Amino acid sequence: MPERGSISLFEVVLFGVCLTLVAVPVPHFYQDVMIVTFIWAGVALAWNIAGGYVGLISFGHAAFFAIGAYTSTILGVRYGVTPWIGIWIGALLAAALGTTLALIGARLRGPFFILSTLAAAEVVRIAALNWTSLTGGAEGIWIAPVPNAVNMVFASRTTYVAVMLGYVAAVYAIAKTLEGSRYGLRMFAVRDDEDAASAAGVNPLLVRAGAMTISAFLTAIGGSLFAQYFQYLDPTHVASPELSFQFALLPALGGLGTAIGPLLGSFIIMPVSELLRSYLGAVFQGLHLAIFGGFLIVVMLYFPDGLAGALKRLGLGRSKGPP
Amino acid sequence: MTALLEVSNLSCAFGALKAVDEVSFSVREGELLGLIGPNGAGKSTVYNLIAGAIKPTSGRIVYKGRVITGWKPFEAARSGVARTFQIPKPYGLLSVIDNVALSALLHDVTVAAARETAEAVITDVGLADVMEAPVSILTVGQLKRLEVARALALRPNLILFDEIMAGLTRPEVMSMTELVASLPSRGMTVVWVEHVLYAIMQAAPRIMVLDRGRVLADGIPEEVARDPAVIKAYLGEEMSLA
Amino acid sequence: MTTFGQLVLSGLLIGGIYALMSMGLTLIFGVLRVVNFAHGEFLMVAMYGVWAMTALLGLNPYVAILAVVPAMFVFGALIHRLTIATGVDKPHLVLVFATMGLSILMQNVALMLFSADLFDVPPMFGGRSIAIGPLFFRVELLLGFLIAVLATLGLRWVIRSTYLGKAIRATVQDREAAMLMGVPVPHIFLVTFAGGSALIGLAACVMMPLFSVFPTVGLNFVLIAFVIVVLGGMGSIEGALLGGICIGIVQAVSSYYVAPAFGQMFFFIVFLLVMIFRPAGLFGRKGEAMVGIN
Repeated sequence: MPERGSISLFEVVLFGVCLTLVAVPVPHFYQDVMIVTFIWAGVALAWNIAGGYVGLISFGHAAFFAIGAYTSTILGVRYGVTPWIGIWIGALLAAALGTTLALIGARLRGPFFILSTLAAAEVVRIAALNWTSLTGGAEGIWIAPVPNAVNMVFASRTTYVAVMLGYVAAVYAIAKTLEGSRYGLRMFAVRDDEDAASAAGVNPLLVRAGAMTISAFLTAIGGSLFAQYFQYLDPTHVASPELSFQFALLPALGGLGTAIGPLLGSFIIMPVSELLRSYLGAVFQGLHLAIFGGFLIVVMLYFPDGLAGALKRLGLGRSKGPP
Repeated sequence: MTALLEVSNLSCAFGALKAVDEVSFSVREGELLGLIGPNGAGKSTVYNLIAGAIKPTSGRIVYKGRVITGWKPFEAARSGVARTFQIPKPYGLLSVIDNVALSALLHDVTVAAARETAEAVITDVGLADVMEAPVSILTVGQLKRLEVARALALRPNLILFDEIMAGLTRPEVMSMTELVASLPSRGMTVVWVEHVLYAIMQAAPRIMVLDRGRVLADGIPEEVARDPAVIKAYLGEEMSLA
Repeated sequence: MTTFGQLVLSGLLIGGIYALMSMGLTLIFGVLRVVNFAHGEFLMVAMYGVWAMTALLGLNPYVAILAVVPAMFVFGALIHRLTIATGVDKPHLVLVFATMGLSILMQNVALMLFSADLFDVPPMFGGRSIAIGPLFFRVELLLGFLIAVLATLGLRWVIRSTYLGKAIRATVQDREAAMLMGVPVPHIFLVTFAGGSALIGLAACVMMPLFSVFPTVGLNFVLIAFVIVVLGGMGSIEGALLGGICIGIVQAVSSYYVAPAFGQMFFFIVFLLVMIFRPAGLFGRKGEAMVGIN
């Protein structure tokens, strides 16, 4: 079972399984599910760096996702900048917004902070919706589906799956490294008791700002990758509050405060959600989401540590202490 | 010996309530100063002022020759001032050793080194048997000792203890008192707020009494114990203290 | 100038209605320290209820108040018992996510029952407007504002002059002290949550003549409500009214002079500015935003 600061057999096996799924021929539908799952898992992990490690719960991460998606896409489609570079520019812009939000919310705690992230994300969405000359407004922007490695458009879905797996693996590695580092310990301390951490020499504002910046940066990359795969973006698909909620829900269900939590949450919830939607969605529109909502209520009230916490309590590993 | 800490006319008012009222004192390097007084006397407020948790309404604090009034808590810690909290504030989701390791990170570069430092300090305060346990299972007495461990792990020059004996058994009080009394020889200056009077009156060479935000007495324990004003503040009538 | 006056005044009127919609939220914030992310969905449910009264029983929305408000009270009490009560003593993120789950559940149940179509109640006053001086106002807007003001005054009276109100104020200030003083705090929580839901019911009755209902209608309004509550200060009834009026005016004026969609953006910017400079809002307790909820 995953522990803080070391790689466990579980994680190695999991990665092996993912690699296999990439390499082995799999029906297109399932590949689509994998692509979306990997991207969402990466964003969930990124969200968790701020939300789970430092306690900066955000319901506005779609803002970073959207900035990533729009930046790389606009630069690519309009100015011929290859997404391989555009992605980083988008990530930097998003990171700047992340830092700004952390500074704006420097004195805010609890729901006040959450609401300010919501507000900021709505500002981004409305701007995207109305700044038609830049973003195409509600009509959105298309990426030409012409396979071209420089433009990061691939002919084979398998390549996309591989890229997305690379993304989630990289974010996981970053999250895991942070978790076991001195910065990680400081993040947890600020989360658990800011005053005590301050009295122990930690500058809480720096920790909060740093976490938000990293989280935003990594989320934006996910947004850019999504745009490259979906080949279409509009405010509803990349900047909506519903998206922000998803990015927060997956880590919450999987287990905040650990690296494996958001991963577990995404790997279980996303495929189930997609499958339910395709089976039930046609019959009763919205049933799968209703089930999902009910499930969320039950988990949060009775298993607030999420899936990872529940597994740990079932004794599926050495009890070396809490994360 | 030079004054490590000098407090001049320090006042802190919360609205109309003067929690700290024109308090002045100084602490020499290597001293062990006991600070006592009835509940609500303002002892914790004085700590909060020195450690930067709150700002005074007037007055001055000089530490190591630098005016530090109104600095931030993390600046205090980085300058060598450590404090414990009267109501323990552990990192609730972390283990005992991680709680202490965080403080050690001020000087240690790697988490591994910090945990080593933490291990030693934890053993010092007598918490070795719960080293890896989550703090949620600790008793109040253990939490107080955790506070001490966290403060010590900062390797401070000045350490401010806030009622660390509460919840300890008599033998535990004696061993903790031994630990505190040994700190000046380890290079630390100690200010010690305490309610468990028999411990502090024995161990501290100098006692200061605070009552309603004011300094009532400042001297050796025997004199302070006989001071009628002090007796009156604690007990309201003529009675012996020790 | 008349246009400006017209905008300000109609902004003021709709603002009062927005305030009514937010009053339940601010009470629940203040007393239970809970962010009810399903607040918008409560409104949606109540609005469907009003529609049902109108479409199926032929009542007009204002008469439906007599049915919808008590029904929402019971509904709120039920939800509280089933979900909120369990989470009240846990870390605040538990209820943040639990109420979000509630919101998703309610939205999609509504989707399953009613489909995504917009439902309306037929106009009652023939779409007429009343003239006050050179300005014109829709009757529904005026009536709604009036009801909002009456509700505010009524609520103020309850808070200030009844034992329940005292108990509520005590719980807001210090729930542990209140408990020690014999205030049945869990009971107060239930009554406040149910009462807040009843207020949403009232708001729904007043809003149905002006807006359509569809499963996701809640999201839009809940954001407005959050901004109003923060602007006015958590737990403050007067603050909600003032905040609502401010927001209504800002939205009306900026929508006209800038662009309708940017009108929406403007009040989020107002919100962020308030967060930076006076997080406790107009009537909130200073420092509250820095302590957060727990």
